[in-house]
Amino acid sequence: MATVENEEVKGGQAKPVGAVLVVGGGIGGMQASLDLAESGFYVYLVDNAPTIGGVMSQLDKTFPTNDCAMCIMSPKLVGTGSHRNIRVITHAEVKEVAGDPGDFEATILRKARYIRPDKCTGCGECAKHCPVTIADSYNEGMSRRAAVYLRYPQAIPKVYLIDREACIGCGLCERVCLAGAVDYADEACQEKIAVGSVILAPGFEVFDAARRPEFGYGVYPNVITSLEFERILSATGPHRSHVLRPSDGTIPERIAFIQCVGSRDKKCGNDYCSSVCCMYSVKEAVIAKEHVPFIKPTIFYMDMRAYGKGFDAYYERAKADQGVRFVKSMVSRVRQQQGTGNLIVTYLDDQGKAAEEVFDLVVLSVGMTTSQAVRDTAARLGVRLNAYGFCETNPLAPLATSREGIYVCGAFQSPKDIPETVAQASGAAAAAAGGIAAGRGTLATKKEYPPETEVASAEEPRIGVFVCHCGINIGSVVNVPSVKEYAATLPNVVLADENLYTCSQDTQEKIKKAIQEHGLNRVIVASCSPRTHEPMFRETIRDAGLNKFLFEMANIRDQCSWVHMRQKPEATAKAKHLVRMAVANARLNRSLGETAVPVAQRALIIGGGVAGMTAALRLAGQGFAVYLVEKEELLGGNLRNIHRTIEGEDVQAFLTDLIDRVSAEPRIHVLTGSQVTEFGGVRGNFTTAVTTAPAMTAQKIQHGVTVVATGAEEERPEGFLYGEDPRVCTQQEFEGRLAAGGEEAAGLREVVMIQCVGSRNEKRPSCSRTCCATALKNALALKRLNPAATIRVLYRDVRSYGMLEPYYAQARREGVLFVRYEPEAPPVVAREGDSLTVSFAEPILQEQATVKPDLVVLSSATVPRENRELANLLKVPRTAEGFFLEAHAKLRPVDFASDGIYVAGSAHAPKLITESVSQAYAAVARACTILSKENLMVGGVVAVVDGERCAACLTCVRVCPYDVPVVNLRGEAEIDIVKCKGCGTCAAECPARAIDLMHYRGEQLEAKIGALVEG
Amino acid sequence: MRLNYPSNVKVVKVPCTGRVDMLLILKAFESGVDGVYVAGCMEGECHYLRGNLRARRRVEQVKKLLDEVGLGGERVEMFNMSASQGQRFAQFAREMTERIRSLGPSPAKKNKEVLP
Amino acid sequence: MIVGNRKEFGEILEKLGTARRVLVLGCNECVTVCGVGGEREVGVLASELRLYWQKEGQDFAVKEHTLERQCDYEYIDAIRPLTGEYDVILSMACGAGVQYVAEAYKPRLVIPAVNTTFLGVTLEQGVWSERCQGCGSCIVDMTGGVCPIARCAKSLLNGPCGGSSGGKCEIDRDTDCAWQLIVDRLTESGQMERYEEIQPVKDWRTGRDGGPRKRVREDLKL
Repeated sequence: MATVENEEVKGGQAKPVGAVLVVGGGIGGMQASLDLAESGFYVYLVDNAPTIGGVMSQLDKTFPTNDCAMCIMSPKLVGTGSHRNIRVITHAEVKEVAGDPGDFEATILRKARYIRPDKCTGCGECAKHCPVTIADSYNEGMSRRAAVYLRYPQAIPKVYLIDREACIGCGLCERVCLAGAVDYADEACQEKIAVGSVILAPGFEVFDAARRPEFGYGVYPNVITSLEFERILSATGPHRSHVLRPSDGTIPERIAFIQCVGSRDKKCGNDYCSSVCCMYSVKEAVIAKEHVPFIKPTIFYMDMRAYGKGFDAYYERAKADQGVRFVKSMVSRVRQQQGTGNLIVTYLDDQGKAAEEVFDLVVLSVGMTTSQAVRDTAARLGVRLNAYGFCETNPLAPLATSREGIYVCGAFQSPKDIPETVAQASGAAAAAAGGIAAGRGTLATKKEYPPETEVASAEEPRIGVFVCHCGINIGSVVNVPSVKEYAATLPNVVLADENLYTCSQDTQEKIKKAIQEHGLNRVIVASCSPRTHEPMFRETIRDAGLNKFLFEMANIRDQCSWVHMRQKPEATAKAKHLVRMAVANARLNRSLGETAVPVAQRALIIGGGVAGMTAALRLAGQGFAVYLVEKEELLGGNLRNIHRTIEGEDVQAFLTDLIDRVSAEPRIHVLTGSQVTEFGGVRGNFTTAVTTAPAMTAQKIQHGVTVVATGAEEERPEGFLYGEDPRVCTQQEFEGRLAAGGEEAAGLREVVMIQCVGSRNEKRPSCSRTCCATALKNALALKRLNPAATIRVLYRDVRSYGMLEPYYAQARREGVLFVRYEPEAPPVVAREGDSLTVSFAEPILQEQATVKPDLVVLSSATVPRENRELANLLKVPRTAEGFFLEAHAKLRPVDFASDGIYVAGSAHAPKLITESVSQAYAAVARACTILSKENLMVGGVVAVVDGERCAACLTCVRVCPYDVPVVNLRGEAEIDIVKCKGCGTCAAECPARAIDLMHYRGEQLEAKIGALVEG
Repeated sequence: MRLNYPSNVKVVKVPCTGRVDMLLILKAFESGVDGVYVAGCMEGECHYLRGNLRARRRVEQVKKLLDEVGLGGERVEMFNMSASQGQRFAQFAREMTERIRSLGPSPAKKNKEVLP
Repeated sequence: MIVGNRKEFGEILEKLGTARRVLVLGCNECVTVCGVGGEREVGVLASELRLYWQKEGQDFAVKEHTLERQCDYEYIDAIRPLTGEYDVILSMACGAGVQYVAEAYKPRLVIPAVNTTFLGVTLEQGVWSERCQGCGSCIVDMTGGVCPIARCAKSLLNGPCGGSSGGKCEIDRDTDCAWQLIVDRLTESGQMERYEEIQPVKDWRTGRDGGPRKRVREDLKL
C-alpha cells in the first residue's frame, strides 16, 4: 500500500517552519491560503498571472445555482488580498523548492511589472491614456485592452502592469500617473522564502481546440470555445452580456454545443473525462436562453455526466422546462456554409445514423489540461505527474504528491468543478498544516493595538473629514477644494482636509496625527469604495486609538465622479450631499465593542466511517482532542462493505490501518454504540450530550466544532426480483462475493448489471454518482477472474468522470457490453421456469432483446443513513433526499450555514472513498480556523434588543433567517451576538421597534436620509 | 464600469435590504425625496438568505401607503441586481429617474411640520 | 390576543376633520403583536399624516407615543402633560384602550385608528385567525377543542348546517367548517360519543346578550 499519510514530521527535529507556500491563486489557492492564514500559519501565495482569481474570475454564472461567479468569489479575493498573514506574490513563478518537509526553501522569481505596487492606487488613469490596444486575454481575445492594464476590474492586487511586448515606450502613462508608480526600469528579481509545506493549486488550462481540426476552430469565426462563450455571456465580457456571434455581430439563434472536445479522446492523448463540461454546457445553454429567449441551444453529447449534487435536477429542468435540446451522438465534423458564416454539423446519432444540421454558432466544450508551464514547475519541484499530465496521487491519499511535504488540490489533481476544488483546497490546507502543526503561530502575526480611547455616546462629536482627489479620478470631475470647504461648515466638523491619494501610506500617518492634534473622535474619508478601502482606514484610526466603528466613508468616486463624468457641477453638488450624509451618520456612530469568547479547543465528530476517522486523525495530528461518536459497535461504516478501489487499492487493509491508528491515538476518544441526544451552543462553544449503549450512560461534551460524517449506504433495491431470487444481488453484495474468491466467478457465464436502480427517478432525482464506477470495477474484476464471462451493463449514461474514464475504455476493450436504456422503458427482470431473464430494448438493432444471465447485479442507489433526528438536534438542513445541505453549493462545500458545524463524506452526497477523504481533510481545515484560536471575537454589527420595549411578539424569532432570536425567561427577545450575522431583518420588522442593528441604527439611517435632501 | 447614471441618485448603504424598514422609506419622503428605490441582490442570492424577499414585501406595502396619502406608489420600487451588474444598476437608476421626472417633484415637500 | 385592522387612511383623515395637532398613541400589547398598533405602526400612521399634510401645504404637529397598555389608567395617566399640546388623540389600541383613553382625557377628542375585530391566534407570521367570542360559558371540552360559537358562521351547537361541503363553510371556500373540524378531532380522540350528546339551547345571558359585563374579584381588590 502507498504511503497514505506522510504529513507528520518525524519527532525530535527542530520546530517546523510555520509558513506555507501556495502555488496558484485561483479559487483553490485562495481557499487554501485563507484556511491556513485563519488557523495560525503564514502564507505565501504565488501566482503566475498578474492577479489572483484564476479561471473562476472569467466565468459568468456557476452551476447548479446560477450564482454569479464574480459575485460569490469577490469576498474571497478581497479577503485573500487584505489578510495580514497572506502575502500575495503575483506575476511570479516558483523556480525551486529545496530542503525537506517542515523546512523548505523556495525560490520565487518575480517578473518585472513596470508599475510599483507600493505606489499604484489602481485608478486606471494610465490605461486611459495608453495609445496601444491589443487583444484582451481576460476576454479570450474578443476585446481589446491597453498595454498597461488590470486583468479585470475586481483584480487583487489592484495594481496595473505594463505588457512590455505590446508597450511602445511612449512614456504617456508615466506622465499621467500622479502617484509616480510607473517604473520602466523595473527588473525581474528572485527571492528565497522559508516554508514548512507547499500546496500546488495551479489549476488547469483549457484544451487547445485547434488540435481537433475537424471542428474548424480558428478557421471558422463562428466556432468558439466554451470559455469564449462564457465571456460572451458575462456582463464584463466583450459585448457586455449581449449574445452576439463573432463573424457578423448578429444574435445566433441556433447554437450547438459539442461535448468532449479534448476529453475522452485517445487520439489527442486525453483519455480522461474533464468532469465539468456537461454541466457548464447545460448552464451556458440555459443562461444564453435567459439572455435571448428565442435562442435554441442543442447539446451534442455522448453521456450526460450530471453526477454531482443537484446536477441531475438542473439537467432535467434544462431539458424539460428550459428548452435545451440534447442529442446523444458523436460529432464527426463541422463545416462552414458558403456565404452565411453558418456551420454544418455532421454527426452520428445514437442509432448510428449520420445526420447533418445547420447552426449559427458552434461552441466547443473544451476539456481541462495541464499547461506546459505547470508541467515544468512540477518537474522542477520533483513532483510526479500521471500519464495525462495531472498530478500523480494515491486514491486513498488524494492530497499528497509524490514529494513529501508538497500537497495538491483542484484541477491539477484531476479535472473537477469549483466545489470539489474548494473542498480539496481546504483539505490540502489541513494536510499542509498537519506536518507543521508545531510551527503554528510562530510566523503568523497578530496585530497589537494601542488601548482604545473611550468615546461616550454623550460626548460631543469631533469630526475630521478627508476629501480625496484620487489622483485625477475624483479631482478632475469634482471640485475637491469646494467639497472640503463645504465639509468644514457642517455640524461637528472640526477639521476638513484634502489629499491627492488618501489611501497612500503617508496620508495614513497624516490622519493619525490629525486625530491626536485635533482630538478627533470621528473620521470621514470621502473617496472611493468602502468595499476595498474601509478595512484599511478603519485600521488607521484604530492605530490612533479610535474604535473602528467611528470611521465613516463617503464614496465620491464610484458613486459620483466616475458616473457623472460629464456633469461636473452636478457631481460636485452630489459629492457635497454625500459628505453631508456621511457627517449626519458619523455624528451618531458609536464605538462598538467586540467581546472575546473563549474557544473549547476540542472537536466532536459524529460518524466513525472513513470521513469521520480521517477527520479525527487529522485533528488529533494537529494537537486537538477529538470525541468520535459512532452509532454502531464497530468503526468503519460503509467502508466495511468495500474491498478494492477501482484502481486496485486494498480497502480493507486501509480500513484496518485506519481503525488501528484511531484506536492508538491518545487524543481521540472513541465512543462506539453511542448517539447524540442533546445539542446546544454556538461555534467555539458547543455542548453535546452523548448516550452510550448498552448501559445508556450519558455524558456531556464541551467542544468548539462539530463535524457531521454520518455517511450513506446502499439502498435495498425494490423490484427486479431482488430478495425473491438469489440470482439477483446488489453491486456491493456482488463485490463481496467476488472478494470472497474466484470460485463463483469462474462459473458465471453471463452477468447483467442494471444501472440507476432507485436513482434518477421521481422519488430520488439525483444520480448516486459512484455506481457507474462500482459497476466498472466489478465488471473488470469479474473479467480478470473469468475472461470468458459475458457482461452486459444496462445504463442510462455512463458517468465515469475524471480519471475513471480510462476504466470505462478498458472495460469496453475487454469486451464488457454497454447497452443504453431509456427511463421510460427500463429493463425487466423475470423468471422463466428455472432461468432468470432480463429483457431490454436494444437501441442499435431497435428491437427488444432477452437474455438469460446467471446473475443480475443491481446498481442500487446510495441513500443517507437515518439522520433526521440528528439534523433536528443540530438545526442543520437536509436536501429533499435526506443528504445534509451545505451552506453554499459552490464555495462552502463542507460548511453548514451555522458556523462551527461541518459536513464530510457521503452524509453530504454520494462519494467515492477518495472524495470522502478529501472532504474529511477539508472539514479539518475549516474546523482549525476556529480550534486554533483561543478566543473568538464577537459583536460589532449585530442586532440588539431593548428588553423594556419588547412585546415578546415572536416576530424576530420568526423572521430571522438564522433562527437566532429567542424569547427568554424574562419574556423578552434575546439575540445571541455570537450567532447574529447582522442582516437587520429583525430590526426592520420588530413591531415595537425594540430591536436596532448596531452601526445601522434607525436613528442613524434616518439622520443620513434626512441629510440627503438640501436642508 | 463607470457607466453614467443621473447624479440625483444617492445611495444609502445598508448591510442587506432586509434592514430596510418601511419607516426609513417613509422618512425619506418626509425629508423631501421624490422617489426611493431599494436595490437588493438577485432573488435566491441573498447573502443573508432572504432579506431581499422581505424587503420586496415591505416595498409593496409602502406603495399602498403612498397611494393612500396621494403621493403615488410608483415613487417607490424594488430592484434586484447582482454585485457585478453595474449596467443593470445604471439602467435602473436611469429608469427610476425617468419615472420620477415624469411624475414631477414629490408634492409632500411643500411644507414641513411647523406647529410648535 | 385582541386582533384588529388599521382603518383606511381616508377614514382617519375624515374623522380628524380640521384637527392638525395630533397625538398618535400606540399600545405595546395585543395590537403590537398583531402588527396594527405598536410603535412601528404608530410611526407609519404618523408618517402618512405628515406626508399628507405636507402635500396639502398645511401646518400641523404630529407626535408619536406608545403606551405599555391603553387599558390601565396608570399608564394612560403618565402622559397627561403631553396630551395638553394636542387637539386630538389618535388611538391605535383596541376598542377598550380607545375608550379608556377617551375616559381619562375627556373632553378631548379621541379617535380610533383601528377597527377591533376579534379574539384570535397567530396562524403564522402575518396571519391571524378568530378563536373566541367571549360568550361567557366555554364548552370547547365538548367539541374537540374547537369553538362552534366563534368558528361556525352560524354559531351552531349541534352539528353542521347544510352549507358544509368538503370540510369548508359555505360563506367562503377558505374557511373551515367548524363542525367538520369538531367531528374530525372527536374522531381522532375517540370521543365521538360527545357528538351524539345534544347541546341544550345556549343561555346567551353570560355573553353580550346579557348586557355589558363586569367582573369583580373581591380578594384582589384593595
